[in-house]
Parts: sequence; structure tokens; C-alpha cells
Amino acid sequence: MHIPDGFLDPIWVVVTYALSVIALGLASRRAKQDMEERSYIIIPLFSAAVFVAQMLNWPIPGGTSLHFLGGALLGIMLGPYLGMLSMAFVIVVQCLLFHDGGITTLGANLLNMSVIPVLIGYYVFVVLNRTVSKIKRSTFIPALIAGWLSVVIAGIACGIEIGLSPNFPYGINITLPIMGGWHAILGIVEGLITGLIVSHIYKRHSLVT
Amino acid sequence: MSKLLLTIIVLLLISPLFGVLLSEIVGYHEPLDIAAEALGLKDISEEINWTPFYDYAVPGLPQEIGYIISGIIGVLAVILLGYIILYFIYKQR
Repeated sequence: MHIPDGFLDPIWVVVTYALSVIALGLASRRAKQDMEERSYIIIPLFSAAVFVAQMLNWPIPGGTSLHFLGGALLGIMLGPYLGMLSMAFVIVVQCLLFHDGGITTLGANLLNMSVIPVLIGYYVFVVLNRTVSKIKRSTFIPALIAGWLSVVIAGIACGIEIGLSPNFPYGINITLPIMGGWHAILGIVEGLITGLIVSHIYKRHSLVT
Repeated sequence: MSKLLLTIIVLLLISPLFGVLLSEIVGYHEPLDIAAEALGLKDISEEINWTPFYDYAVPGLPQEIGYIISGIIGVLAVILLGYIILYFIYKQR
């Protein structure tokens, strides 16, 4: 989902950079309250684990491929603020060191992968966990849905940004079904992995405060 | 913490299997590529490349080994970046 340079119109470059800076700036201010003594040692390890997990590409024969994104997982485990920041470390290193996504599109990539999925994942999980978990006593289903939806919405956002770049005024008719449709399928794996990890951790000790 | 480190190491070691070998057999093609093709967008990343580690490879090394080395470099960079930023945020309390 890393958008390369040249795919976005200048307007979208500015808008997405602005939104990401606002969201991550807010996260930096609020993250303090969620941090404990050794948070700055442990949280980068979560980021590193997601970075490596993203290197495992799972090709789907005949069509497309996927890798675990991890935004919802970080949001659920670390909360929205530390979740957004920990995911941003991954996206910035991927861009600068490995040219995974462009510099002009870094704002959009931060928005699509470190802001939107983390927020969607966290809030969907919190809301569902209040209702579903009371009945089923399991965090698996809420985390699965949160993981799935985080990828679908992020894919749709990416499709909107590319499709609405004025060079392609009708591009959105093409990009939205492709990005939304494919991510609705690929997101099932994201949901399953998120659900399994979250329910496993919840069984042992609650990380969410 | 030790479990997290172990997870990172295990994932690093198996990464070439999924990142290189399977991609070569089946081809790496994500939805964004499909959307870009449909719009006729051209990816110019290779032409304007700024890093020796493009595509998670290390120049002069076989792809599988380069993928693991790239992974190690990336892991260290992510940890360093995260540590510096979070340390400053924490100290502002």
C-alpha cells in the first residue's frame, strides 16, 4: 500500500502531509500520559516486530499478494497515540532506507498506514469489546473485525487519494472498487492474525490500559 | 521483552522464504499495483532511487542474504528512531 512518488497530485501531497503532521503531532503530545518508565525501550521493539512481519509477503496465486500491516494490532496493544507513533517509525524507515513509498507521498503513506488503521483498529476494538466480549467472553472476534476493517478503510483511503488526483478526474471509479474490493479479501488474513495475537495476549495479561 | 526479541529474530530468519523465494515463484503484486495499472500510472521509484537498499536488497549479496541483512538494518533503524523520539517524549513529562 506504499504509494510511490508521482502517483499523487500536489494538492493531495499537501493535504495528506498536513493531516499526518496534525495526527502524529497530537499523538506525540498525548502519548506521554500512556508511557511508563521503560516504554521507550519496549515500544520500539513492537515497531521492529511489525517491520519484520511486513517483510513477509504472502503471494496469492493468480492475483495479488499481501503482507501483515499491523496498524490495528499496535493500536489495540499500545493505545491510539503510542500506536500511531510506533507505526510511524516503521513507515519512515521503510521510506528513507528502503525506498518503500516516496518522499512526496510519505504524508499519504503515514496517513494510510500509521494513522487510519491504528485509529480504526483501536476504536472498533474498544467498542466491540464492550459488547461482544461480554457475551462471548472472547477478544478474538472484536480484534478480528478491527483488523479487517482497519485494512479495508486504509485501502479505500489510498484508493480515494490516488483516484481523486485531478490528473485522473474519474480515476476514483476505478481505484475505489479495486482497492476496497481487494483489501476486503486480503484484510481477512490481517483480521485473523490480529485476532489470534490479541486474544492470546489478553488470556495471559491485559496490555490495554 | 525476550519473547518480542525472539519473535523478531525468528521472523527475520524466515523472511527470505516469503519475501524472496515465494515472490519469485508467484510474483509480487499488491492491490495498489493493480489500481496503478488500471490508471496507467508509472512507478518511477527505480529511476529516482536514493538508497543502496532498494527493494530490501544489499548490493553485491545474494537476494536471500541481502533480505535478511536489510531486515537487520531496518530493525536497528526502527528501534533507534523509536527510542530517540519516545525518549524525548517521555522526558517532557
